[in-house]
Amino acid sequence: MTHTLKQTVRAAVVAVGLVGGFAAAAAAHHSFAPFDMGVTKTVSGAVKTVEWTNPHIWVWLDVPNDQGGIDLWGFEGMSPNFLGRRGWTRTSLKPGDKITVTYRPLRDGKKGGMFVSTKAPDGRLLSMQGGQNPEP
Amino acid sequence: MLSWRLMMRVTLVFVAAITAATVGQVVLAQQFTPKPPTAADWAALAKLPDFNGVWETGLGGGGGRTGGAPPAAGGAAAAAGRAGAPAGAGAGRGRGGAPAGPALTPEYAARRKALQDAAKEDNETANCLPQGMPGIMGQPYPMEFLLTPGQVTIVIEAYQQVRHIYTDGRPLPADPDPKFHGSSVGRWEGDTLVVETIGFSPLTQLAANTPHSDKMRIGERFKLADPDTMTIETTITDPEALTAPFVSTRTLRRHRDWTLAEYICEENNRNSVDQNGKAGINLASPGSPKK
Repeated sequence: MTHTLKQTVRAAVVAVGLVGGFAAAAAAHHSFAPFDMGVTKTVSGAVKTVEWTNPHIWVWLDVPNDQGGIDLWGFEGMSPNFLGRRGWTRTSLKPGDKITVTYRPLRDGKKGGMFVSTKAPDGRLLSMQGGQNPEP
Repeated sequence: MLSWRLMMRVTLVFVAAITAATVGQVVLAQQFTPKPPTAADWAALAKLPDFNGVWETGLGGGGGRTGGAPPAAGGAAAAAGRAGAPAGAGAGRGRGGAPAGPALTPEYAARRKALQDAAKEDNETANCLPQGMPGIMGQPYPMEFLLTPGQVTIVIEAYQQVRHIYTDGRPLPADPDPKFHGSSVGRWEGDTLVVETIGFSPLTQLAANTPHSDKMRIGERFKLADPDTMTIETTITDPEALTAPFVSTRTLRRHRDWTLAEYICEENNRNSVDQNGKAGINLASPGSPKK
């Protein structure tokens, strides 16, 4: 019972934190208009590359499609400046890493969206609030 | 007789012209001339409040700032209408439904409504145009304060911007060119740095979706609330746009272990907004031309 409550509170705190982070990001550079912020999806693939660049990082993912091919998906994150002070580095995700990305999809249906979080191969949660150590 | 009078007139005109030129030179000579700093000027900096270093405002949803008008309501009002916020975000109402944000004249209220109704998906910051004042002071990025004799320099990480505040006693310029950060002078009132800024580009906004006139004036009072906390009280006046001063306060925290990072917005900007306010995303493969 207490455990459940604790988990709920923790989830709520994380959710509020994520929303706050996004608001800050948008105020800094652009609006949420291209993204469907009411929808959260996940997609799995292999990291092709990470653009550790301003004004935003982009995580590019090779995702297998139904035809046996590979599609390139792009996810926009916050800035290297912001994330670099909060536990991410340019090698937190490396080419070839198999990850599942949680994201807000692009409204135009193209393959990509706003990066929300992923679990790095070392177990760290990489979110737009920063990189956090794995749960004990 | 006639020619004598003509000569007198010509002479008078000459005298007048020479006098005017002389007076002009005197006026020029009275313009402010900065003096080279002395060792005493450098030593005097040690007696000023310790502003040097890297500071960051509170994050998220207007955090770190309260604002409103009139001033008496400033502390209670929420941070709606933050300059530089995306179109349609947070304007009009504060916490608990109370009115927040600048008190606009009818003309400027109509102009704001027109901009809100245009419902642009984004503004020019998506194309890497910096906010200018006052929005640039509220970005979720740090800024570094540098004190040198006669000047306070604020290096702002977001969009790699810089403000120059002259504290050497010079007056504000009489007819400044409009600029994103305006023209600033400052003075120390005890432990408070008091800054006055005028002359803003029409490309900057007083608050979200809110234009300003060429008479906008921004006053700022910077002081330390504790050794690593700075407050900035900002008062905006504009006789054409505002019916009351728009007062807000930001709180910044010092991060002794931080350094400013580079921020070249054009490095890899995949966001955009077109002339109609339509936002776009460029998904060109990394490394390929974005066109």
